[in-house]
Amino acid sequence: MNRTLERMRNIGISAHIDSGKTTLTERILYYCKKIHRMHEVKGKEGGGATMDYMELERERGITITSATTNVTWNDHSINIIDTPGHVDFTIEVERSLRVLDGAILVLCSVGGVQSQTLTVDKQLKRYNVPTVAFINKLDRIGANPFKVKDQINDKLGRRAALLQVPVGLEDKFQGLVDLISMKAYYFDGPNGEIIREKEIPPELEDLAWQYREELLDTVSLFSDEVTEAILEDRVSEGLLLRAIRKGTISREFTPILMGSAYRNKGVQLLLDAVVNYLPDPSEVENIALDLDQQEKPVVLKADPSLPCVSYAFKLEEGPYGQLTYIRIYQGSLKKGDELFNTRSRQRFKVGRVVRMHADHMEDIEGAESGDIVALFGVDCASGDTICSPELNYAMTSIYVPEPVISLAIEAADKLSVDRLAKALARFTKEDPTFRMYIDPESRQTIIQGMGELHLDVYVERMRREYRVEVITGRPQVAYRETITARADFDYTHKKQTGGAGQFGRVIGYIEPFDGNYEFVNEVKGGHIPREFIPSCDKGFQSLLKKGQLIGSPIIGVRVVLTDGQFHPVDSSDIAFQMAAQGAFKQAYKKAKPQILEPIMRVVVETPSEFSGNVFGSLNQRRGIIISSIEDGLYSRIEAEVPLSEMFGYSTVLRSMTQGKAEFTMEFLKYGRLPNFLADQLMEEHRQKMESEQKK
Amino acid sequence: MVRKILSTRSPIKTLEKNIKGGLGPGHLGVFASRKGVGKTACLVQIALDRLFEEKPVIHVSYASRVDYIISWYEEIFKNLASRENLKSEMDIHDRIIRNRVILNFRQEGMKTEQVLKSIEALLGPGRFAARTIIVDGFNFYLPCAEDLALFKKFAADRQLEFWFSCSLKGEDPLFDENGVPFVLKDYLENIDIIITLEHDNGRVRLNLVKDHEQIFSKKLRLELDPQTLLLARVG
Repeated sequence: MNRTLERMRNIGISAHIDSGKTTLTERILYYCKKIHRMHEVKGKEGGGATMDYMELERERGITITSATTNVTWNDHSINIIDTPGHVDFTIEVERSLRVLDGAILVLCSVGGVQSQTLTVDKQLKRYNVPTVAFINKLDRIGANPFKVKDQINDKLGRRAALLQVPVGLEDKFQGLVDLISMKAYYFDGPNGEIIREKEIPPELEDLAWQYREELLDTVSLFSDEVTEAILEDRVSEGLLLRAIRKGTISREFTPILMGSAYRNKGVQLLLDAVVNYLPDPSEVENIALDLDQQEKPVVLKADPSLPCVSYAFKLEEGPYGQLTYIRIYQGSLKKGDELFNTRSRQRFKVGRVVRMHADHMEDIEGAESGDIVALFGVDCASGDTICSPELNYAMTSIYVPEPVISLAIEAADKLSVDRLAKALARFTKEDPTFRMYIDPESRQTIIQGMGELHLDVYVERMRREYRVEVITGRPQVAYRETITARADFDYTHKKQTGGAGQFGRVIGYIEPFDGNYEFVNEVKGGHIPREFIPSCDKGFQSLLKKGQLIGSPIIGVRVVLTDGQFHPVDSSDIAFQMAAQGAFKQAYKKAKPQILEPIMRVVVETPSEFSGNVFGSLNQRRGIIISSIEDGLYSRIEAEVPLSEMFGYSTVLRSMTQGKAEFTMEFLKYGRLPNFLADQLMEEHRQKMESEQKK
Repeated sequence: MVRKILSTRSPIKTLEKNIKGGLGPGHLGVFASRKGVGKTACLVQIALDRLFEEKPVIHVSYASRVDYIISWYEEIFKNLASRENLKSEMDIHDRIIRNRVILNFRQEGMKTEQVLKSIEALLGPGRFAARTIIVDGFNFYLPCAEDLALFKKFAADRQLEFWFSCSLKGEDPLFDENGVPFVLKDYLENIDIIITLEHDNGRVRLNLVKDHEQIFSKKLRLELDPQTLLLARVG
């Protein structure tokens, strides 16, 4: 076993907003001697917590982008990846979860398992992340860690048990009893940095033994060794520790710790738990795909002597240039090494390698497998795999969905124009689901993304980080047009205006097609000379960008060119392009065109008592309910709903279910827009065109 | 359109002719056989028969995964579409999905009250006007007299028909002298129709053993094609 690896942890801290995640992170940094003074969230002292470094996050008290920072605890190197808890920032969350090996799930001792806890818990389960739970805020009025423990078992369906019980609660919260060592711990000094070990207070003995028994019972469910030891009455501290570690890594067990980060109590014991129970990088299996062997899966070995395989999970445009955060899965890298980006096929030399600490950094010579570091000046996109040049691997790529909603934006004043361009350039590079383009007709800047909130956050970030006041239009759904019948065309483009004329004739048909576009050339006998065939293709394609119904892109068309005619002098590239355009216009109307709308796959998780209301709300939105899976307390309802009906759904869902339900949605397919809505859209488009013409 | 094409020649209609015009609202019917003989295929065809007529159906299942049930529908639909030479297959398929909701429960600890509550939620606030409920995977080997009474009352109150599958297990004999599965004998007052499936020379034949008030064993002129799992008339 590699000693460096054994002493490495890559962890995330997942939590409900307001459960005290940022304060906890701050305390971890302090006890690991990364910072010398503690701040509070929401900038009471004008400082703001260290991890939450973006101004917007500071103001809202939430973390949106993931920063990573490295700390040392008990001779172990811990990389903390800050994971956003909000459902709408999926790509951020998924990328962070991809690179971590373990997580701390923070819960509030008063609020317990809240709806958002369910979301982050689901994310952790989806990525098979071993987890320790931390019940925070034991100093608050109404704190009840025992209730929260039951909720972790019942609502999250985890097999979990307390590893500690509190000494006092609420304003009398003083310390913790450790149920493994059966000792009490107190946290002295101005910042709780001095740990005092004492005997268990007599009044807590019964309680402590009761919960130790519960812990042993739970552990014995998955550990035969512990079961035997209980029967023989020889449960040692080491045995229990090993069993808990094994159960946590195999995700059969979730140890529960507790404390109050704000009152500086319990954080050091939590750090001990991270080291004791969460896996080191070699204990987690990672798989890459070998691009030279038809994407054959290859198990990566966390061995520094092997060729390097790493994954760029986050890009950040900092004050000193572009930073690329990478997780090294195999091999090692150092300054001056040559590496290879398997997506862009580009080789590059490693320049500066840094270890990140929120927003300051430390230069290092190199790093080995298992580690998370940042590189300077690497031209790549997030999600890229970076290898030694002799390898051609890709880490399983994260699926990047097509954007489904767009918004026109413009800078409110001339001074902001440059800053807006800078902001957009950075955001589009950081987040592949966020895109922008300039509409050639309206000259408007259009941003595209995965949902209302997704775009809202970027507009907000432009304001705050780049001081750009932006004016936004109404969110627009990305409609498409398609044809539903075959239609023939026979079109001659002929122009004689003195000098060289233009002549081209095309004959053929268009028909529905299962992909986006296909061009088939069946012209025989040289009726259209070979060099003009691509001109025809180009002409047809140029009209696909804007359909005649509502000006949306056309998909699902096959054009078959069967015959044509040319003129030895007057035929040209442009003449055949024009002929193809004329032909397409002619045939399109006859091909029964239709408007398509994006249909989203919506999943609502709700307490079962509200499932009727949720069914109703989805039905009302032209949704099709596909299934509902119930496990007693909760229902998971899956439906297909048009995107245009989903605006504002989060508010509706919240009020309908007392804030207890949540939903996620992703693009599924394009579906036919019902006639009454299609008519409405066409009318709007006609009016828009008319008013533009008048201008 | 589809209604016309399929209804007249549907083997389900033959089945219904044999049981006094159908199961009917307020009644429970059961397909019983050992595992893997074709109960789910029969249930899915009853559901598809309703769906072709654009009548909504709720499919209750106790399976661990929903995609397993969906693939049953896909498979049977594909085979039916090819046997009946359906035109505009995709349109029909879309309409079927629109009218079908799958409710999936984990049997362990899942109370029938809860199952009925969910169906009620879908029918009431969900405004999903189903009249046929398919229940696949209900465990008749656990004491369930009370559950069946609840299903029956609910069926009567909401004017629904419920079609169940009953998976027979254990050693032979599984049936009494009238062909009624032993496991169902205690529940006869709440079950209106029982159809058993049996292997017969490489085919799967359907026997009607309880038809509302009457108990007798009658071989139906229906069988399951072992290749396509589609119901077909015999002879």
